[in-house]
Order: sequence, then C-alpha cells, then structure tokens
Amino acid sequence: MAAYFENGDGSLVPDALRGFARTHADLLTLDPDHGFLLARDPAPTRRVGLLSGGGSGHEPLHSGYVGRGMLDAACPGLVFASPHNRQVYEGSLAAARAEGVLHVVKNYTGDRINFGIAAERLAHRGVPCARVLVDDDLATDSADIVAGRRGTGGTVLVEKLLGAAADTGLGLAELQELGTRLAARCRTLAVASAAHTAPTTGRPAFVLDPEELEYGVGIHGERAPKTVPREPLGPLVERMATALLDAVAPAPGSPVIVLVNGLGAVTPLELYAVHAQLCALLDRRGVEPARSLVGEYVTALDMRGFSLTLLAADDRTLRLYDAPVRTAALHW
Amino acid sequence: MSTTTDTPPEAFSTDGWMRRFVESTRTAKGRLTALDQEVGDGDFGVNLSTGADSALRRLDAARAATAGGAAAGMDPAAPLEAAATAFLDEVGGTSGPLFGLLFQSLAAAVADAGGATTPALTAGVAEGLAAIRRVGDAAPGDKTLVDALHPAAEALRAAPVGTPPGRALALAADAAWTGVRGTARLRARRGRSSYLGERAEGVPDPGAVGVALLLASAQAVVDDPGDRLG
Repeated sequence: MAAYFENGDGSLVPDALRGFARTHADLLTLDPDHGFLLARDPAPTRRVGLLSGGGSGHEPLHSGYVGRGMLDAACPGLVFASPHNRQVYEGSLAAARAEGVLHVVKNYTGDRINFGIAAERLAHRGVPCARVLVDDDLATDSADIVAGRRGTGGTVLVEKLLGAAADTGLGLAELQELGTRLAARCRTLAVASAAHTAPTTGRPAFVLDPEELEYGVGIHGERAPKTVPREPLGPLVERMATALLDAVAPAPGSPVIVLVNGLGAVTPLELYAVHAQLCALLDRRGVEPARSLVGEYVTALDMRGFSLTLLAADDRTLRLYDAPVRTAALHW
Repeated sequence: MSTTTDTPPEAFSTDGWMRRFVESTRTAKGRLTALDQEVGDGDFGVNLSTGADSALRRLDAARAATAGGAAAGMDPAAPLEAAATAFLDEVGGTSGPLFGLLFQSLAAAVADAGGATTPALTAGVAEGLAAIRRVGDAAPGDKTLVDALHPAAEALRAAPVGTPPGRALALAADAAWTGVRGTARLRARRGRSSYLGERAEGVPDPGAVGVALLLASAQAVVDDPGDRLG
C-alpha cells in the first residue's frame, strides 16, 4: 500500500490539517483537540455562522473554503468518512453567531446523521441551528434511490453564495431558504476515465477498459450507473450539458454559473478544453455562462475525471457570486 | 444519608440506573458483538461498552464532585448528562451517539421533573425517540433501535396517571423486548444491515437489544435498589 505519500500510521489527515493550517495561518486556525478549522477574521456583519464538513480526500473542499466571505468553520472527517458529531458540535459552538449556525451538508447518510446529532445537541444547548442539504448529483436522480441525490461539486457554489449572503446580515431562516433554493437550482454530472487509488489497497477503486468511461461517477469511488464507450470531448460534453440543462432548465437568455471541476488527476489543459466545449453548447442554446470556475474544487483523491455543474442564476445570485471572498482556494 | 428536598418521593436513582446499565452492557458485550457480526460491521458491542465505560468514569467523577461522594445528594439529571456526553463524544459509528441523544433527552426530562419519575421517563423516552427519528430518518419496521424504543414509548404513554416507575418500566421493558424479537423477522431498510437484505433476517437488531437492556436496567434498579443509592 505504498500508493500514497504518508506515514502509514493513519496520520495523513491530521498531518495534512496541520500543514494546511500553518500554510494559511493568516486565514484560519486549527482546533487540534476537536478537529475543526475556524476562520480568523469573518465579517463582523454576520448574524449566523456558516459551517460545513465531510470526508477528507475532496480537497480543497471544505477546508479551502474557510475564510472571509465563505465558511466560518469546516470539520474534516477521515478519508471519505463523515466527521464525528463532536467535531460538528464543537465547531458549531465556536462558529455560532447571535442567530446561531447554518450547516451546509452534502447528502450522504453518514453526514446527515452526524450533522443531525450535532444539531440535536446544539438545540439542547439552546443554540439555533438549521441545515441546507446539497443534493446536486444528477446521476443519482432516481426514484429507486431512497437516499436521494448525492451532494457533489455544486456544494462549492452554494457555500460561496451563502457566504456572501451571510455577510449581508441575513438571519438563519433566510439563509436556509436561500441555500435550499440555490441547491435546487444546481445540478452536477461527473465522468471518469480511471478510478482513484483506494488508500486501503493501493489499487484503483475500480478498473475501466481504456475504451470506456464511467458516466455519472461519484466522488468516493462508487461505480456510476453507466459505463459508456469512450467518445471525443465535444459529444461527451454535449451529452452531459444537455442532461444538466434539461434538469436545471434555465429560462432562455438567462445566466448560469458554470463549474468545470477536476476530480484529482485531470490536467488544467483538459479542463479548459472542457470549458470551451461547454460554452459553445451553451451559446447555441441561448444560455449565458455568466460566471465560470475552472480547476480543482471538489476532488476524489486522484480520480481521473471531471464534473460539470450548472447553477441557474439571476442578478442577485451574480451579485452574491461577485462579492469579495478570501479563502485558501477561492479569492477575489 | 439525606436526599435533596425537592426530589419526588417515587423517583429512583439515575446513578444506580446508569451503573446497572454499564454492568449489563459488559455482560452482553460478546453477544452484542456476535449479533452485529451477523447484521452489521461487528463494532456495536465494543462501541456500546466503550460508551458505558466512559460513562462510568464520568459518573465516578460526578459522584466525587458531590459533597460526601454520595449519589443520593446528586442532581438526578447529572448521571444521565454524564452518559449523554460519553456516548455523544467518545463513541464512533452512529448507534452509540444515538444512545447519547436518548440520554440527553432523558436528562432534560428528569431535570424538568426534579427526578426520575414516570412522567419524566415518559417524556424523556418520547423526546429521545423523536430526536433519533429526526436524525436517522428511521421508522418502525426498518430494523433499527427504533423498533424497541417506539413500543417502549407507546407503553409508557399508555400507562395510567400515577403508575409507579417500577410498573411503568416493566411495561416499557416488556414492550422493548417484544420489539427486539420482532426485529429478527424484519429485513433492514436503514442502517448498515440494509445492505445485507435477506441475509440479516432471523437476527435481532443489536441496537434494539441495547434499548431493551437500558430499560431493563432501570427496572432492575427500582426493584432492587441495593446499596446503589450510595
């Protein structure tokens, strides 16, 4: 299991957290006892603290989004494992403002349960707490899937937009309503040509033929609903974007926010080519890619794949997007 | 040893309850682990006894912090709060922390009532069940600890006004054990055993067993307080 550069004693996540916190000491601090990162200098206008978290292995999610204009706190679990309720509880106590704390939770059973337990503890303590569930993965949009759609790339956009809204001084209920609406207007689809290396075995989490693509892949090495023959980028992006447009259904001529996200082992060269193909299709459909993020924002260790996210926007959403942000992974 | 003046006369010792529960999880650890190896990932027995051991350390600390080290002088919610923190903070997986939520609700209800009375148990178990259902999204019939806790809550709710705690707990524990036996006939829809489908049929849910042990421990303390009141 020499696949990853680590000590092999289970210290990879805590080691990385220490390094991350030291690198970005101007932005955040690490509470090593309770395992959460806390923004040093959140906007004083915030009435509600914003906290997220989830398994490690998706960096820069969520730690890279702690700072001014985005998250007040992030709780990383072990690789692909939910954080413990204690991390979320303690992080929430540290991040809560006068009107409480809002949890941004990706839709996975473990995350839902652990954030839910923390929320019950906060209620017991008299700290108001609400949740925005992000469930943007179009590949798991099926009546047969009881757990619902997974939360993936759209989480970054929801966290950015909610951070800007929190800075304007919105209350807990208003932020929850906004976040829920944003998550509902956002869909993601991912494709991979090779699985990530499983940390436990050092081998690919699944094996694909060179002529195959995993279409609708998750961010934990789950197989996709479909394995499809490999095709050139143009038709592939068209197929993905068409499905996303059908689901998001932006009004003709209305803006969308676009995220072209590398899953860990796709080059920037490829990601920008994906973006060009995507914009060409959006132009033909009369949909304006008003804002774009291209790069690695939500990864799956070293998976060779990318995801596309579309979020149907309006003027208010674009203003929230343009508001200043200063985190390790997003800053303008 | 004097008791605090505002403790209702029918209330029983929550310190004794928690200590009896710790003993019963130690006794049952091997059997719970064996059950969980059939229907889950085999860590439930260890998780439950980890939480119970940590709860015991916290109970001892709480006793030591009370004047004279006597359980009788303790805030009756304190042992339940100690168990809540132990299970919520120091147990991995999900079943252990869900027990912590139950203790948290019981602590709040006992604090409101001034002691472990029948109305406090009824309110605490009902609110604990509601919290666990909110968090875990599990309904009766999903083969989880809800299948023991829900009938226990119903039995407590149905007990006539004035039912002494011993009788109420006997009804609740009976209902919980009936629920446990019922889980053996269920196929899991939530939790880890849901991945096993029909392979988990015939095996009771270990979390449900834990709930029944908790209620049976309370009943045992009421029936035989022994020297556990300190």
